[in-house]
Amino acid sequence: MAAVRIRPVNELDIESICRIDERITGKYRPDVWEDRVAYFIRRDPDSSQVAEVDGKVVGFMLGEVRGGEFGMEEPTGWLEFFGVDPSARERGIGRGLTDALLAGFKKRGAHVARTMVRTQDADIARFVAAMGFTPAPVSALEKRLA
Amino acid sequence: MLPDRYHQAIEHWRQHNFPDFPKLAEVWTTFFPKDEPFCLCAKAAGDIPAEIEIGDDRGKPKALQPKELAPEAAQHLLSQIRAQASTEFGSIQQHQMTLFRAQEPQDQAWVLRVMAEELRHGYQMVHLLTSQDWSPATDTKAEDMVEEILSMQTGSHVLAAFNLEFDSFLDNVVFAAFIDRVGKYQLTMQKISAYKPYASSMPPMLREEAFHLAAGVIPLRRWVEHAARGDGYIDMPAIQKSIAKWFGRGLEMFGDERGGETNVKFGLKDLNNRDAQDQYIQECARMLDDLNVRYVRARFPDRTRDEADAIFARVAAGETVDGLSRDDLLRLPDRRFFRRRGEFAFQMIGTRGETFTDVETYIAHVLDSLPEAYRASVDVKHWADTQRAVVAGTKNLKDAVASMPRLARQAGGCPCGKSVRWVVDAAGGSAGGERLKP
Repeated sequence: MAAVRIRPVNELDIESICRIDERITGKYRPDVWEDRVAYFIRRDPDSSQVAEVDGKVVGFMLGEVRGGEFGMEEPTGWLEFFGVDPSARERGIGRGLTDALLAGFKKRGAHVARTMVRTQDADIARFVAAMGFTPAPVSALEKRLA
Repeated sequence: MLPDRYHQAIEHWRQHNFPDFPKLAEVWTTFFPKDEPFCLCAKAAGDIPAEIEIGDDRGKPKALQPKELAPEAAQHLLSQIRAQASTEFGSIQQHQMTLFRAQEPQDQAWVLRVMAEELRHGYQMVHLLTSQDWSPATDTKAEDMVEEILSMQTGSHVLAAFNLEFDSFLDNVVFAAFIDRVGKYQLTMQKISAYKPYASSMPPMLREEAFHLAAGVIPLRRWVEHAARGDGYIDMPAIQKSIAKWFGRGLEMFGDERGGETNVKFGLKDLNNRDAQDQYIQECARMLDDLNVRYVRARFPDRTRDEADAIFARVAAGETVDGLSRDDLLRLPDRRFFRRRGEFAFQMIGTRGETFTDVETYIAHVLDSLPEAYRASVDVKHWADTQRAVVAGTKNLKDAVASMPRLARQAGGCPCGKSVRWVVDAAGGSAGGERLKP
């Protein structure tokens, strides 16, 4: 089995990220990923990560450290987007990405990482739980707007 | 912060050379709403290894002052810093020329931010030059080095890539994608510098440089999509010609392909010139592959990802598929094409690696490959004249390589001081010493 290489994301990973997203969601959304990758590269290019196997990007995880949101003043590492090519799963790629992302957060001064998972995304919930995330003492609330 | 006199000198330079800087504050909250405000200041990383990481002195403590380096190493280092400073200030002067021609406000705001961050990088280099005693490496005083750097204009910078004028906003974007990419390589190589203050300067600059590359690649991605749909203003041939303008100059920024070992030996860089250049070429090829894939997806919107990938693979291999041929896609010129420095200087090699024997045929080929506005420049005329002279044997290769159509500042001072004299560089033209502006 080829070795997995985890490294910070860069602007040349956009097409690969689009490809992974398309494999997962069935949607081709280059503009969306260009905006997102540009955002994370601009703000913290060291934290967000991709996983390569044989020089091909097979997974990504994007996040950043922010503070002062929702009354939580402490610097918080937010895990915001991730995906692993379905053909490359069950090889520890998600864990490798998470470890690298969280290490980047810690280096940037965060002592806590947070994320949110939609209730219906059971697979994602299982994954983040396996990565050590536990229910936080905050509530996600919403109000539908007519 | 720099001592006030140097800080003010850079601010003054900025007023003359980067008049659009105040606009950055106006657009910041629109395009960079969550980001920390821009700061014109020097930054240093704290987690730099204390020991030299490569070369003859590997394992020994890194130098904290120039006098702790061997004199020759200090001279190499000083050359690196001065060249780096020249590129930072030079790129701002180039971007400023065509910044206002951006079609999209976001593209313009991104380049504006790139320029501001290049100004910070220049500030960082001035900090390195003025915060330590460089007398072991040069007789030139710090203030004179700073004045020399701040006096440079497009045409008198250290590296040729910073002496070319921008002709359209396409240059701003292609420059960011290709020339800033060389910058990334240089900064990455210098991250291990045996001079710790320089090594410490690299990580903050690299973090900013990452966005500069995105500011090149992402507009290109969007332009190729529009080009494929036929609803844009910038077509693939225009992008291809701009690549031909910049790629060779980018390669030459690495230095002669046969050199660079001395920097490795002194622990100042971790790659020699050819190895670094090889990696750069691979990365540029990958960039163009991605752009081509984006083009194919947009050209055949009803095809699946796998079908589009298959079409790209066939076209890249030389087939014509549904009217799409290799010539419709972007292609990296041969590394020997249109070269004026290094191992391949003035060899008559075409964009696809073909060899030319007749100089006029070769010049016609190069001209046909370059953007129209650039063809009309003094830079291209100077190259063509030099290429003819090299082939005719009336100019030797060494003189040809050293020859630049540049204007060099003879005396220091600022454009508003009305005391500036410009001369045609003696090495670059026959009118050496001509006084153009008293």
